[in-house]
Amino acid sequence: MINAKPTLKSTFKALLYLAPLLIITLVFTIWPLISSFLMSFYTKYNYFTNKVSALGGANFVYLWHDPDFHLAVRNTLIFVVIVVPVTVLLSLGIALLLNRINRLASFFRTIYFLPFVTSTVAIALVWNWIFHYNHGLLNQLLSCFGVHPIDWLNNPRYSLIALIIVCIWRELGFNIILFLAGLNNIDRRYYRAASVDGASSKQQLTNITWPLLTSTIVLVTVNAIITSFKVFDQVFALFHGTAGPANADLTMMYYLYQKFYVENQYTVAAASGIVLFGFIAIVTILACWYFRRHAKLLGGNQL
Amino acid sequence: MKKACKNIISYTLLSLGAAVMLLPFIWMLVTSLKTPAEAIVIPKMWLPKTLQWTNYVQAWHAAPFARYYLNSLLVTSVTTLGQLFTSILAAFAFTHLQFYGRRTLFAVLIALMMVPGELLLIPNFVTLAHLHWIDTYAALIVPWLASIFTMFVLRQAFQAQPRSTYYAARIDGANDWQYLWHILVPANRTTITAVAVLQIIGSWNSFMWPLIVTNSDRLRTLPVGLTAFTSEVGTNYPLLMAATLFVILPLLVLYLLLQKYIIAGITKADLKG
Amino acid sequence: MQVKLQDIKLTYEKHHNIFERLNCTFNDGELVALLGPSGSGKTTMLNLIAGLLTPTTGKILFNESDVTKQDVRARNIGMVFQDYALYPHLSVLDNIAFPFKMAHVKKSARRKQAQKLAKLVHVETQLAKLPRELSGGQQQRVAIARALAKDPAILLLDEPLSNLDATLRIELRDEIRRIQQTTGVTTVFVTHDQSDALQIADKIIVLANGQIQQIGTGTELYHHPHNLFVAQFVGTPKINLIPIAEFKPYITPTIPDDILVKATTIGIRSEAVSLNSIEQPVIAKIPAIIEKQNQFGREIRTHICFQTSQLISTAISETTASSQAISVYVLAKGCYLFNRDGECIWAGDEHD
Repeated sequence: MINAKPTLKSTFKALLYLAPLLIITLVFTIWPLISSFLMSFYTKYNYFTNKVSALGGANFVYLWHDPDFHLAVRNTLIFVVIVVPVTVLLSLGIALLLNRINRLASFFRTIYFLPFVTSTVAIALVWNWIFHYNHGLLNQLLSCFGVHPIDWLNNPRYSLIALIIVCIWRELGFNIILFLAGLNNIDRRYYRAASVDGASSKQQLTNITWPLLTSTIVLVTVNAIITSFKVFDQVFALFHGTAGPANADLTMMYYLYQKFYVENQYTVAAASGIVLFGFIAIVTILACWYFRRHAKLLGGNQL
Repeated sequence: MKKACKNIISYTLLSLGAAVMLLPFIWMLVTSLKTPAEAIVIPKMWLPKTLQWTNYVQAWHAAPFARYYLNSLLVTSVTTLGQLFTSILAAFAFTHLQFYGRRTLFAVLIALMMVPGELLLIPNFVTLAHLHWIDTYAALIVPWLASIFTMFVLRQAFQAQPRSTYYAARIDGANDWQYLWHILVPANRTTITAVAVLQIIGSWNSFMWPLIVTNSDRLRTLPVGLTAFTSEVGTNYPLLMAATLFVILPLLVLYLLLQKYIIAGITKADLKG
Repeated sequence: MQVKLQDIKLTYEKHHNIFERLNCTFNDGELVALLGPSGSGKTTMLNLIAGLLTPTTGKILFNESDVTKQDVRARNIGMVFQDYALYPHLSVLDNIAFPFKMAHVKKSARRKQAQKLAKLVHVETQLAKLPRELSGGQQQRVAIARALAKDPAILLLDEPLSNLDATLRIELRDEIRRIQQTTGVTTVFVTHDQSDALQIADKIIVLANGQIQQIGTGTELYHHPHNLFVAQFVGTPKINLIPIAEFKPYITPTIPDDILVKATTIGIRSEAVSLNSIEQPVIAKIPAIIEKQNQFGREIRTHICFQTSQLISTAISETTASSQAISVYVLAKGCYLFNRDGECIWAGDEHD
């Protein structure tokens, strides 16, 4: 048993155990993965008969010339560039604060994590109400500081900001938990040794916490990048099933949804999915590469 | 002195942040108990004159929320249980059984974990359409019956189980199947609960997929039903907030009860790999 | 039940030739200890008997019937693992009853039987507890009870005492002996500690480097070691070893020359190093210096320097004199000569 080698019989048995997972994965993950790549190159496709009459890069050419898609890419990039650093830094800051207080830490943690367990769609509706131009809570609060009411949801200049606020608010808790776990993994003895050596708390942060936390920072960043690129639910609910005023909140995922579900242009939608995937992959790899280089400079552990 | 000062700053910042985090929840709750007129009055008032509990009754009857609830419950429980079942079996095979290509297969599955699910949306829709499954419970459930993520977390847990337990059980007369269900699964119930809770959250809140594969009202899950409801009530915000609370409440309760499992699940999954 | 290992060869993964050609028999009703340093293959041998390992070639016979290819479940053995391997989520009672459950014994019947076993190992007051609420010794008892539940033909214990503190160790050692005698089950236990083996085993098998060095009772191993390894491994303090070249000039002509020529090392038990000959055969009288004396429990250990070698004696009573040049008698009984291959070619007490 300890030194058992795989045999045909044992392989067959293992396949029985694996079959349920493998069949579902094959049909709903592996096949669609291949299929979506193929589909993005179909130029004449009848979905009812599943017949492909022509292949080519026409779908990508279409995207290249579609102003809506440009807008979607632009919005998504702006969104990612703002949301990712803000989320990462804010959640890191909060995690560090939570880590140094003794009392109420778990109470605060519970509160910060709340948004993550609530339905995105449902809570976006609440935000929709808070952002309301005339009757919303936010404008009311801002007026206390002498700020004129802002039409968060109907003014293209502000509607992307509204979306960003909602997304950061929601993602914080999850990332805080990841950071707290990362901080907990750092051996307390390092800090004790450092205090004995006379390191100030600021020196401890830069010399111990920071380098040892690098892998967690990468994890959180990559996770934030992937989530942000795929934002959809919040847009849908915040703007009641539209992409915001003058498409100001049209994200790539929303574009895909629209092409696919509203306009039934499956192949264009599939192509936009591939482009989205490409963006995510490139940015993720860049982020990993950047951190890896800096981890070396900081003398932190290798990833 | 310096330390006390720092502490005050920490607690102030954290309390401010917590207030921002809680604000939408509180605002949802108080709005849901106001009359429509109270909801839009300027300046804002925090508490209504009388608590309008009837808003909940009204909202409940304004759309088939009972049906949505049943749908959500059914879809969430079946996907969660199904996913646990398929993942437990596969994790067992990967940790306790000998077979050809074990490493390769595992590597392929791990690589698949990085594929964004949204990329698969369109082909999956096409597949379901060809199976004539659009607008059925099967469409809501079957594609989610396998989760490589869940399998991966369970595999880590099963791997950590001392081998001697397995040998002892075999010597005691248990076969693999009996060992799995009598010993391994109950011994790892904490991890299993953790992944199950994460799955429940994901399933309960999932929106885009149910939106796309259902057309009829009777198959809508809560989040989809809620967005449909928004267009019906228009500007009656108290009713809308009451309905929002229906959707959020079950998971809030579940979260407060099983908090430690959720946090364990997240940290285990992401950092131990 | 009699267990026989026949020409066992075992090779797996990175471990090449753990056993080359292992032959060994365990008789019915015996309590046998597998003694050896870590890495000697003791646990591997136990796993072979249990069926957790399959030999590359060779046969395993239970009462003369070949079980080499038989699955663990069919072998009817009981095994206690080093970490006890109790099922963490099951109560003590359910742990003991698990084998009955797997054998489809009715619930009331299996509870009754489990209680009986719990009584045998003295854990009957802990039945409702979970394993983690028990002390190490109690966990060990539960593990033994569970192993006995199948009424096994052979009971295998892997380092049953190594995780216990000293007092508990002695207590459980006697307990294992008692349980074994009560049930009469053929028992094999693995240990790296000679005192465990010497205290309770009927028979000791000394293993090193995947080879059986010697099989015998504690007395036989101590007084008639077959080779250098056994002589060194069994006995405290360790046997004194001196290169024969240093020793030769002092040897009395008691040892035949043809043997002396082949010898490379002489081994002298600590009790054979004495200040007076007490009318016993002596093989040498050597000049030495007493370095220090330690009281070691009941005995006194005297450290003696002889040329380049350090000797320990337990036969010298307390003296005040240290750093003193003296003459020391080496008694024949307790002396062994070993050849280049480490084989024992002469033992002093065979020539009384």
